[in-house]
Amino acid sequence: MALTRRTLLGGFAAVAGGALVGCSSGMDTGTTKKNAATELTMWCWPGGLGKSVLDDTVAHFPDPKIKYSEVGGDFKQKLVTTFNGGTSIPDITGLKGEDIASLLPQAERFVDLKTVGADSVLGDYLDWKVKQATTLDGKVIGLPIDVGPTALYYREDVFAAAGLPSDPAKVAEQLKTWDDFFAAGVQLKKANPKAPMVWDATDLYDMVVGQGTERYISKDNKFVGDQDHIRKAWDTSVKAMTLQIDGRTPSGKPDWNAGLDLGTIPAHIGAAWVALDIKSAVKKSAGKWRLAPTPGGPANFGGSFLAITKNAADPQKAFDVIKYMLSPDNEAKAFADAQIFPATPAAYDKPQLKAADSFFGGQVPIDIFGPAAKAIPVAYQSPFDDAVAAPFHDELKTVQTGAKTSDAAWSAAVSKAKAIAKRQGVQ
Amino acid sequence: MSATAAVRTRAVAGAPTRRRIWSYWRFYLALSPFYVLFAVFGLYPMLSTIVLAFQRWDGLSARKFTGLDNFAFLVRDPTFWQALENTVVLFLMSTVPTLVIALLLAVMLQSAVRFTSVYRIAYFIPNVTSLVAMAIFFSSIFSTNFGLVNAALRSLGIPQQDWLGQPWGIKIAISTMIVWQWVGYNTLIYLAGLQAIPKEQYEAAKVDGAGPVRTLFSITLPQLRPVVLFTVIMSTIGGLQTFTEPQVMVGNSGGTGQSGMTVVLFFYRAAFLDNDYGYAAAIALSIFLLVLLFTAINWRVFRGRGEDR
Repeated sequence: MALTRRTLLGGFAAVAGGALVGCSSGMDTGTTKKNAATELTMWCWPGGLGKSVLDDTVAHFPDPKIKYSEVGGDFKQKLVTTFNGGTSIPDITGLKGEDIASLLPQAERFVDLKTVGADSVLGDYLDWKVKQATTLDGKVIGLPIDVGPTALYYREDVFAAAGLPSDPAKVAEQLKTWDDFFAAGVQLKKANPKAPMVWDATDLYDMVVGQGTERYISKDNKFVGDQDHIRKAWDTSVKAMTLQIDGRTPSGKPDWNAGLDLGTIPAHIGAAWVALDIKSAVKKSAGKWRLAPTPGGPANFGGSFLAITKNAADPQKAFDVIKYMLSPDNEAKAFADAQIFPATPAAYDKPQLKAADSFFGGQVPIDIFGPAAKAIPVAYQSPFDDAVAAPFHDELKTVQTGAKTSDAAWSAAVSKAKAIAKRQGVQ
Repeated sequence: MSATAAVRTRAVAGAPTRRRIWSYWRFYLALSPFYVLFAVFGLYPMLSTIVLAFQRWDGLSARKFTGLDNFAFLVRDPTFWQALENTVVLFLMSTVPTLVIALLLAVMLQSAVRFTSVYRIAYFIPNVTSLVAMAIFFSSIFSTNFGLVNAALRSLGIPQQDWLGQPWGIKIAISTMIVWQWVGYNTLIYLAGLQAIPKEQYEAAKVDGAGPVRTLFSITLPQLRPVVLFTVIMSTIGGLQTFTEPQVMVGNSGGTGQSGMTVVLFFYRAAFLDNDYGYAAAIALSIFLLVLLFTAINWRVFRGRGEDR
C-alpha cells in the first residue's frame, strides 16, 4: 500500500478513535466484556497459593482449562487498573486482606458467592474472616484463602537467663495481659539492659487496636477514633515507652533482623506468617524460639481471599474451582507448601499442621495459632480506615522520640484524623 | 528531489496557506513518532491529572466533580505543609553539597594526569545502580545498632545516634544518599564544560600572575555559568521529586515526625494507599507548580542580570 497523506491520517484517526473508545468503555462498569468461556483465567500474587494445590487444581479441572497468572508488584493497583481498562479482567482473582475493606464498596464488580452456592461451604471457614468479605447488605465477595492470627514469639534462652518463665505453658500463664507483659519487660531489663521486651512501641499499637471490636470508623460511618478503645491502645503503646522497655526497632529492618539473632530483640508479637521472616532472618538462634499466646488476646494481620469477577464467563464453574482449591484438605496442603495459614478450622487437625517445628524447639505451632485463629474479635473495617489510622501512627512516633507529650500528640492525631475522615464523607 | 525544491521556492514566495503547511507532511511524518508517543504517554495523562484534581475518585467508582475542594483541603492540610518544608530542606541539603563537590572533583579531574577514564567511570557508577537496592544498603549503613556510621562513631568515642529515628538523622541519611548518587553525574557534566573553556584564557591568566583561586573565580566559574545553570535546574527537578530514598529508608509514613515525608511520597500515599486519586492529582499539580517556581528562581539567579549566554 502506498503511503499517502490520506491513508496516514485515516490510520491516525482510527488509532486515536480506538484509544478513546477503549478509555471510555472502562469508565462505565456496565459495558465491560464478558470473558470467553474457553479459558478460566486466575490471578494471584507470588506465594499467594500453595504450589502443589495449584498444580492439583489445574489438573483437576481440564475443561475449561485454568490459566493461572502470577502477578507481582502492587497487586491491588494492577487489579484496579485492569478493572478500569475493561478488558483482560481475570475470572478469578486473589484479594489481599488489607485491601478487602476498600473493595467492598465495589461489590457490584464481583459475583456474590451466595448466588452460586457458597452457603453450603461458608460454615467451614472462620466466621470473622468471612465477615471481612461480606458487605453490609450481606453479599459475600470472597472465599478466605488464609488468616494471620498473632502470637508472642520469644527467645527461650533470653527469658530463662533473666529469671523469667521460659516454658511456653508458664509464659502463657504469667504473661496474660499487657501489664503482665510490661512487668516482665521491666524485670528483663533489670537483668539484661540490652534486651528491651517490646521491639517497637509504635508497631505494638497496631496489635492492641487489632485486639478490639471497633476501629476508627463505626458501621454507621461515624468517626470513633477519638474514643476509649483507641485511647487505650495509644496509652498501652506509650506505657511501653515510659517504662523504657521500647527497643525502637520496627520489624523488617536490618536492626530487627540482627537483633533477633543476637538476643537484643528477645520477643516479637506478630501474625503466623512472621515465622517465615524470623526464620529467614536468624542463623544462630534456630531452636531457641518459642511461641505463646498474645498478651491481651489474639489479633489478626493479613490473610487473603479468592473472588470471582462479574466478567467471568461461567461463575458457577469458577466457584467450583475456588471451592475445590480452598477446601480444608487443600488449605492444609497449602500450609505445608508455603506456610499459608488455613482459614478452615477443620484443617487444624490435619497431619500437615500437627507437625512439631524444630525451629520452635519441637513446639507444635498450631497449638498456639489454632485457638488464636478461632478467638479473633470481629471489628468493622471501613474503606477509609487506613487513611484515618495514619495520623495516629505518625503522632505516636513523635511521642517515641520525645518531641511531643502523649497528650499533645494525641490531640494532634485526633484532629488530623477527623479532618481526613470528614473529607472522605465520614460523619 | 524536485518536489522539495518546489516546496522550498513556494514556501519562500507564497503567503502562509493551509496548502503550504500540508505540503510538508513528509517532515511532519518523520517527527510524528515523538509527538504521538508524547500525546499518549505525556499529554493525555497530564490533562487527565488536571481534570482529576477537581474530582473525587477512589480508583473504581464513578468520578464526582467537587470543584476546588481538593485544593481547599490541601492548603489546610498540615501534612502537606510539612511535606513541602521537608522537600525544600532536603533539596537544599542535597543539591548544594552535590554541586560544590562535583565542581571541585571536576576541577581536580581536569588537572589529574593518570587514569582519568577510570575515575570518570567510578564516579558515574552510583548514578546507574538500582535506587531501591542502594536505599536498602544505606538504611543498613545508618541503622542504629549495627550500622557502619554508628560503628565509626563508636570507634571515635562519640556516642551512637539513632539516625533513622530522629528527624534530622532521617534528613541527613536521605540527603547523603542523594549526594552520593548525583555527584558523579554532575562531575562529568562540569568536566565537559571545563574542557570547552579555551586554554589560551588560562595561559593568559598565568602570564598575568593569577593564582589557582583567582583563576577559578575569574575564569572557570564565569565560563561555566550555562553548565551550572543546567545542573542546578536538573537537580531542582530531581530534588523536588525525591521519593524512592525516603520510601525505602523510612517507609510510607515518612518516619519519625514525618520528617522524611516528601511531597511525592505524600502524593503516593494519597493515591495508592488511601485511594484518594483526586486529592493526589491536586498534590501532583502542586509539585508541578513548585518545580516551575524553583526553576524560574534558578534561572534568574544563575543567568545573571541582562547577560546573555
